[in-house]
Amino acid sequence: MSSDSSKKRKPKVIRTDGAPQENKRSRADPDQDVKYYSEEAEVELRDPNKDYELYKQTCQELQRLMAEIQDLKSKGSKDSAVAIEERRIQSCMHFMTLKKLNRLAHIRLKKGRDQTHEAKQKVDAYHLQLQNLLYEVMHLQKEITKCLEFKSKHEEIDLVSVDEFYKEAPPEISKPDITLNEPHQQTLARLDWELEQRKRLAEKYKECLANKEKILKEIEVKKEYLSSLQPRLNSIMQASLPVQEYLFMPFDQAHKQYETARHLPPPLYVLFVQANAYGQACDKKLAVAIEGSVEEAKALYKPPEDSQDDESDSDAEEEQTTKRRRPTLGVQLDDKRKEMLKRHPLSVTIDLKCKDDSVLHLIFYYLMNLNVMTVKTKVTTATEMTTPISAGDLLSPGSLLNCLYPGDHGKRTPNPANQFQFDKVGILTLSDYVTDLGHPYVWVQKLGGLHFPKDQPQPTVTADNSLSASHMEMTMKLLKTRLQSRLALHKQFASLEHGIVPVSSECQHLFPSKVVSRLVKWAALPYEDYLELSYTKDVVEAGLAEDTHLYYTALVERGTAKLQAAVVLNPGYSSMPPIFNLCLNWKGEKTNSNDDNIRAMESEVNVCYKELCGPKPGYQLLTNQLQRLCVVLDVYLETESHDTSVEGPKEFPQEKMCLRLVRGPNRMKPFKYNHPQGFFSHR
Amino acid sequence: MAPGEMDAQRALELLHMTVFSQSVSPCGKYLAAGNNYGEIAIFSLSAALSSEAKEESKKPVVSFRAHDGPVYAMVSTDRQLLSSGNGEVRAWNWSDIVKKGCKEAWSRRPPYRSSLEVPEINSLQLNPKDNSLLLAGGDCAVHAMDLESGAFTHEFRGHSDYVHCLALRDQSQECLSGSEDGTVRMWDLRTGAQVQLIEVHKYEECSRPQHGKWIRCLATDCDWMVCGGGPALSLWHLRSVTPTTVFPLPHCQQHVMFYQDLILSAGHSPAINHLQISGEIRAQIPCTPRSVHSLCVNERSPEHKLHLPAIVRARPFSARLTDSYEMLVVPQVGNYRLGSRHPGASLR
Repeated sequence: MSSDSSKKRKPKVIRTDGAPQENKRSRADPDQDVKYYSEEAEVELRDPNKDYELYKQTCQELQRLMAEIQDLKSKGSKDSAVAIEERRIQSCMHFMTLKKLNRLAHIRLKKGRDQTHEAKQKVDAYHLQLQNLLYEVMHLQKEITKCLEFKSKHEEIDLVSVDEFYKEAPPEISKPDITLNEPHQQTLARLDWELEQRKRLAEKYKECLANKEKILKEIEVKKEYLSSLQPRLNSIMQASLPVQEYLFMPFDQAHKQYETARHLPPPLYVLFVQANAYGQACDKKLAVAIEGSVEEAKALYKPPEDSQDDESDSDAEEEQTTKRRRPTLGVQLDDKRKEMLKRHPLSVTIDLKCKDDSVLHLIFYYLMNLNVMTVKTKVTTATEMTTPISAGDLLSPGSLLNCLYPGDHGKRTPNPANQFQFDKVGILTLSDYVTDLGHPYVWVQKLGGLHFPKDQPQPTVTADNSLSASHMEMTMKLLKTRLQSRLALHKQFASLEHGIVPVSSECQHLFPSKVVSRLVKWAALPYEDYLELSYTKDVVEAGLAEDTHLYYTALVERGTAKLQAAVVLNPGYSSMPPIFNLCLNWKGEKTNSNDDNIRAMESEVNVCYKELCGPKPGYQLLTNQLQRLCVVLDVYLETESHDTSVEGPKEFPQEKMCLRLVRGPNRMKPFKYNHPQGFFSHR
Repeated sequence: MAPGEMDAQRALELLHMTVFSQSVSPCGKYLAAGNNYGEIAIFSLSAALSSEAKEESKKPVVSFRAHDGPVYAMVSTDRQLLSSGNGEVRAWNWSDIVKKGCKEAWSRRPPYRSSLEVPEINSLQLNPKDNSLLLAGGDCAVHAMDLESGAFTHEFRGHSDYVHCLALRDQSQECLSGSEDGTVRMWDLRTGAQVQLIEVHKYEECSRPQHGKWIRCLATDCDWMVCGGGPALSLWHLRSVTPTTVFPLPHCQQHVMFYQDLILSAGHSPAINHLQISGEIRAQIPCTPRSVHSLCVNERSPEHKLHLPAIVRARPFSARLTDSYEMLVVPQVGNYRLGSRHPGASLR
């Protein structure tokens, strides 16, 4: 309740206090200010803690007084009113004190606030200053890094190394005493040196330019002079042509050939060069020439890589088109085949001249897409020859060069890669096209420097000069031998067909002067017919009769006796002898299987052929073999023992001189002729 | 000469090769064959006839040039191989041959009378009783040579043409010779006298004038003789000198021999005939050669009893192992080849 009362009173007091205060202020401000200031100053002087103690004391006093008043009031005695009054005064006093204390507290609070505000403002100013300083630091740091990052242009310049610099630069530039310790100075000195050097080089460059200009001018002058020379030279050349021709020195022509030779494909070029070289070194009569259109070859060679691209492109295209257009497949294949078998527009011809002026023309082609070379042949003879019927195959392009080297038939392509190409376009073998394209003999590839090893496939076969050179001489010799032997055979055939065995005078001693048996027939024999003959079985089984060989049949007659001979003519004649198989029709059919003497007659011509070769190189072998056949037939018939049971004279009286008629367990007849004495003996 | 030419020449030589003679080594393991080029080739029978014989083992173990002319006859002694060709007989040690070192041990030439032509020696016959060798051929005479001293002890003359074949009668020291002149003569080896003369072609049953009168082959066994050639193959009783059996073989026979109770013969036909004394043809065994010059029985090797016919012809020689095996000896590129065939195999 006391609190209530105090509360009621307090506002009163404040009001009373306040009102007069306000009044007082409004009336007399200076007094009030003094008062006010005095109380403020009082605050300075008083200790707040003591005030706090005072406040507590006062509050306790007030409480005690209130409690005593309450006691007294509750007792309700009359005398107590005085006591109460006294006490009320006391409490008012206390209230005054409280009021004072309250004011002081207010002032103190205000003062504290002011102080705080002041301090805060100070702190704010300091903070601002700090911010400014930080910003300045950052800026400066940035500037520093910028400076640090600065790149001088001189660093890009490639300087000579330090050692070189000190070695080369003159001391007035290098200044070693200063620069050695100071890298900066050193760099500067080096840069100076660089500048110096560059200046010098620039000067040199200018000098060179001038020089060049001068030389160019000189060249110009000389060129003019030379071009003025050309027409004069031409006119001299023109004038010298008849002289060249007259002296057989075709320099001009050779020059032209070399010009065209540049457009030859590599294998043909190798062949051309090697054949030329061989001709110059060993065979002056060898004529090598290039034929065909140079323009076409040029056109072919201008874009060599493009063409290849084209090929692959067209391949792809073709594949597509074949899918699209089935009906024209055949036509397309045909075109493809033609394309594949296309030969290079240029060809090399070699004319081999033999001693008797007959010429073997060889025309070498190059099949571009197959990378093989082929050859076509033609023979021209010195004298006009009547062609014997049986000689049909002798000089035919198909068989003339057959098996020049053993087994080289020239029917199949020597390039193993071709088979796959053929498969693509449906060519079974090359042999169907050989008559058209020429024969791809292995020796032709070798002359062109192409080598296709059988065992190890090589990715790309390139023309090799040394290979060609190593085969040239041998092959040329073989070709000549082949031609001469064929011509010799040709001649022999011509007489053989007329039943004349043309024994040359050098070979007369091989035979007795009187030979009664006569050659009646000489004719070619198809291979199939040869195989069917009963008495040729042994030769066929021995592998000595191949389809590339030439086959003939001969008939030798004497009286009723007819000796049929089947002849295998090896293309390698005359180093490979012809092989005879005999069948005698006289008193029954006698062949080597039922008569030892027929067998002996065969071996007389087949095995003992060496003595029949005649003058080297033995082209007369065939003639001599046939002549010997006639002789041994004479011997056979004349020495045949006379059947005593048959009446009448012998059909063939013995005219030959023989030491013994039969000899040895096989009762051999004396087939060997001994020349000067002219008698027959056993071998 | 280029290798191709060499091959071609060799191929031709092989094509025309004739094997005239053969002889089995004393051990029975090797066979020597002589051809018309004077070469002797040695085949290993044990290798060629073994069950695992390869093509290679049918080729000659070794071959060497023995004579200038053909090797017409060969015979083996205990140590040596004797071969004869034109004019000379030569000896080769089997021990050397087996080691492939073929050096001539000795050579002898009988005393010939004519000098115009060197006579060939067609037949050799060993006479083990007195260690002598009988040889006969082109000079129409039979010579006896002492193998110990090498001296020619006897000369039996009488034939008017060259001698084809010889045969020995062991019991009576007598020797038979068959000649181109159509006669078979019997000689006493001790005295050198001619004991008997048989002119085979004069007997009508044997005579074949279309083939000639020559006697090519001859064999004896006690009192029996079989001979053939131009005249038909016939069996003779020597004591009575009569042809008891004439064998019905159309071709000329070139070799004949007694074997057990059979007579084996071969000649101008590609077959070996097994004949019985009675005249029946018991068997005709075909062989690859078209003409057979020589037959030979290998008695020294019990496991390989065979007759080896030597031949003429491109594919030379086949032999029959008593009724069960045929052995082929074929000259191949550069050489001969031996082979065996089983009985069921087709034979040409």
